[in-house]
Amino acid sequence: MIKNVKEVKGKDFNIKRSAAEGRQLSFNDHICIGCGICENTCPVGAIEIASVGNVSRNYFNTEFSGHKKIAQNMVSKPNYVKVTIDEDKCVLCGMCSGLCPADALDLTIGGESIKNMESYPSYEKSMTIDDDECVLCEKCQIACPRDALTVKRDLPKRSDLVTGEIEVDKDTCINCGICEELCPAEAIDVTKEPGSEDIIIDKDKCVYCLVCKKACPVDAIKAVCRSCSYGEYDFDPEKSVTTGNVIIDEKECINCGWCEGVCPTNAATVTKAFEGKFEIDEDKCGECGACIDTCPCNALYFPKSKGSGDMDSSIKIKEEFCIHCGACEKVCPNDALTVKRTKINNTPTNSKAWQDAIKALKN
Amino acid sequence: MELKVDQDRCLGCGVCVVSCPVNARISPENAGGAGSKTTETIMMVENGFIKLFSPDKCEECGTCQMFCPCDAIWLE
Amino acid sequence: MPKHITSGLKYLAAVRLRNQGLSQKKIAEKLDIDRSTVSHYLNGSNLSWNSIEFAKILTQLNNKDFLLVIQNLFHDLDKIRVIALIFKEKNYNGIVNDSCIGCGLCVDLCILEAISLNALTAQINSFYCCGCHTCEEACPTNSIKILEEKDDQKRERS
Repeated sequence: MIKNVKEVKGKDFNIKRSAAEGRQLSFNDHICIGCGICENTCPVGAIEIASVGNVSRNYFNTEFSGHKKIAQNMVSKPNYVKVTIDEDKCVLCGMCSGLCPADALDLTIGGESIKNMESYPSYEKSMTIDDDECVLCEKCQIACPRDALTVKRDLPKRSDLVTGEIEVDKDTCINCGICEELCPAEAIDVTKEPGSEDIIIDKDKCVYCLVCKKACPVDAIKAVCRSCSYGEYDFDPEKSVTTGNVIIDEKECINCGWCEGVCPTNAATVTKAFEGKFEIDEDKCGECGACIDTCPCNALYFPKSKGSGDMDSSIKIKEEFCIHCGACEKVCPNDALTVKRTKINNTPTNSKAWQDAIKALKN
Repeated sequence: MELKVDQDRCLGCGVCVVSCPVNARISPENAGGAGSKTTETIMMVENGFIKLFSPDKCEECGTCQMFCPCDAIWLE
Repeated sequence: MPKHITSGLKYLAAVRLRNQGLSQKKIAEKLDIDRSTVSHYLNGSNLSWNSIEFAKILTQLNNKDFLLVIQNLFHDLDKIRVIALIFKEKNYNGIVNDSCIGCGLCVDLCILEAISLNALTAQINSFYCCGCHTCEEACPTNSIKILEEKDDQKRERS
């Protein structure tokens, strides 16, 4: 008898069919964006999605007006999962996995994901960074709403970027410590204790700004900067470059395009699965912020007031970062939002049933 | 999920009533803080405590739950 | 007990194959038994008539039940196929609609392993299909129809 077995691990779960092919559907709650495409697509009605507005506004971590909640006795409330799948109805066809824009669902057959199988359609979405153009400024890392980017960079040594000469006449030096206090590079260390007076200048830190020389009351410091006049001879251009790379967490990336939007050198390129239109009915919006908390792309925001008593009557969107997933539309309590998908970018498939499922995403 | 209240915890501050976007749609005068003229709204403060009037209209956005300073209203 | 029932079935199978004109040697190969055993069967000696009577009743079961029984008696796919095909009374065509979602449930359920997935659509091999309708009943999108081949189609074949 063929039966499905569900294994639950915290908020994640997987469903296996006890048969030779080895089909397994796994769900990762953390990645899920609550768009509900899986629920609409499932051909056997096995999927149910929770009210994601409530789920995304995590009960325990809410800060109200900047302070933690007043109540001392926090009643323990259950943590809800975003998606529930009935393992007795599920037939492990993989449509939910194929059409999930966040890759929170994954069907594997014999251990291999259907994303890697040609017969199964998959979205043509991508996030790439051209290492030749990237200057490791970290703007993408800061902007990414999913913390999917980590910049690893090695800075050049300061001593490879400046050149000069500096010397202290220890006999003249009176260990007053004025140079140490003024040094912007914290390169000077003065010991004042009688009997063990000393002054040490760390040449790896010194930038030859000559402030210490100018301030020294007894002219004990001899220093000269060579960077401008002799830089060409002293510097090795290869050593003055910051090196490193950006690590992309492909599971977390939601292809919102923030990295592409902030990158100053056009090194980041994002392509999206959906093209579409987003509309707000400003009269219906009650500015509760549920959509803002639900949006995985930080595309929605409360507009700033233009002055006392002057306020926009609805939330706003930066549509260039919208992926048209529709999670906001689902969560809006006043039906103020409409998300239309006009084009789906996916690899082809010969299966008519799957083609129809993809077409049905357009609304 | 459904809306639940605990009147023992309720301070009667009315923040949930004012912040609820469904209340705002049904009864715009709610924003003034003096309550609404109709019982069509989801909830209202009555005699100093929160009371549910039309909880079936709740769309589960979680705004009231988020703003309540003392966990007197929540979705479960 | 199962051993007796299988030999009862093998006897009936041997008789059928003989009527189809196969030699004793070929019958022995097909049924994976000794040639001497085939000889005994066809000469009517060393037979357990109780087992044979029981086996006759089994062959009168509906297609689905018969296949379930031989699946649990013979276990090995090739042996199941041999027996099933010998006792197959009619031919069947399995038609798969393009509403098929490629879930593979039919592939896993088919006792004869007559179904395979090609480009996310099920394909039913009529050669092995014995018309038990298990796939048709289990299909979550009602995409399968198992149809009996008409007599005139059958005559055209032979």
